Amino acid sequence: MIKICTVYFEGLYTPDYVSKLYRSLKRNTSIPFEFICLSDNPNVEADVVLPYNKHSDIKLHWHKLKFFSSQFANQKPGDEIIIMDIDQIITGNVDDLIGHPVSDNELVTYGIWWDSVIGINGGFYKFKSGSLDYVWNDFALNPEYWQMYYFRNKDVHFKYYGEQNYVNMKLHSKNMKVTTTPPEWLCKYTADKNEMVTLHKEYTRRFNTEYMLLDEPNDMIKVIHFTGPGKTIHDHNEQFIKDNW
Amino acid sequence: MRIICCRFGDKFTNWYVDNLKHMIDKYSGLEYDSFEVIENDIYGNWYNKLQMYDKFRDGENLYFDLDVVIHSKLPSLIRKNFTLLNDSWWREAAHTPLNSSIVSWTGDVSHIWDKFKSNEKEYLEKYNKGSDEFYFKEIEYETYGKVCPSIKDYLYEKPDYSIVTLGQMHHLMEKGWSGWYSKYFI
Repeated sequence: MIKICTVYFEGLYTPDYVSKLYRSLKRNTSIPFEFICLSDNPNVEADVVLPYNKHSDIKLHWHKLKFFSSQFANQKPGDEIIIMDIDQIITGNVDDLIGHPVSDNELVTYGIWWDSVIGINGGFYKFKSGSLDYVWNDFALNPEYWQMYYFRNKDVHFKYYGEQNYVNMKLHSKNMKVTTTPPEWLCKYTADKNEMVTLHKEYTRRFNTEYMLLDEPNDMIKVIHFTGPGKTIHDHNEQFIKDNW
Repeated sequence: MRIICCRFGDKFTNWYVDNLKHMIDKYSGLEYDSFEVIENDIYGNWYNKLQMYDKFRDGENLYFDLDVVIHSKLPSLIRKNFTLLNDSWWREAAHTPLNSSIVSWTGDVSHIWDKFKSNEKEYLEKYNKGSDEFYFKEIEYETYGKVCPSIKDYLYEKPDYSIVTLGQMHHLMEKGWSGWYSKYFI
């Protein structure tokens, strides 16, 4: 069984982000999956909704690390676990993404083509259930420390950011295999127009193509990820959003 | 004999109290006269537990934190003198080796409450990581032997010890988690 796991909590996004991701995945893959959402809203659209405990020491998106534990979300041996952020638009068939092969002690994550200090992308993690339990188990022993560690260390600019830095560090500490998906599958979207120009240039240069994103995305793109703080989908009005979200 | 627990604030709901009572009644083998819940939230933290020394000044007393798993018959935990756990056999001591997840005494130990209340502002600041450091530095105590390890060392296999503390792993009691421990909860 493939379990696609997400987290939604009240704040930056609205509950329909969960519905839109769920439905767009259904539209764009022939592979069966169970869609799970850890949420403070019991009415989000998912096959399984698990409660988001606002009173715990775990902050915000750090809750998604729970899915690394094989004791969470009714995981069974052999399950393949995918953790996805909800600020993404699926724009093409994702059978090759959802069905990407993964072995024990391996993490599959988005290949990225823009500058990044770390080699993984928290928008998509895929792994075998039970093979990366230590990511959650070690974090849970001292969540307050890790949730602020990367901010205090000036690796990130916002409090409670750094979840993917933590995952990356844990994988490296155990010499885990990290496999990235073809980078041309992913489009990064930002509200900063100058940054978008730079991203367009880099995408077209690197993949020898004419454009990344006009009214519609390049055919090579499967997912558009709205990354970074404050970069919401619903505040934008582009045609590719109307067509795909 | 009196069983005592403490619940306050939003972190632990009544489910946790009911769940503790369930595990005691079904698995522990303990026979008790009353089950008491401290709910008066004076400090907004676990110093609230100290109220039990003022409130219960007679007979045999046995206190449990709410985030424990009891899965079989408990060893004898009733003590004459004020007794709590010493965790140094399974973790580094840090600011204190003591752990008040299980506490027992017989009779009157209200001197603990009196001492704390006599200078509570200073104690709350000085021992701001929790009341266990207050016991360690300010109170005469005895400790149990090896009766209650942490579940962090037994996540995947039920221990021979009949009770484990969850500590930082108290999320395991939330909906969505499953392991050997789950079947002992309500």
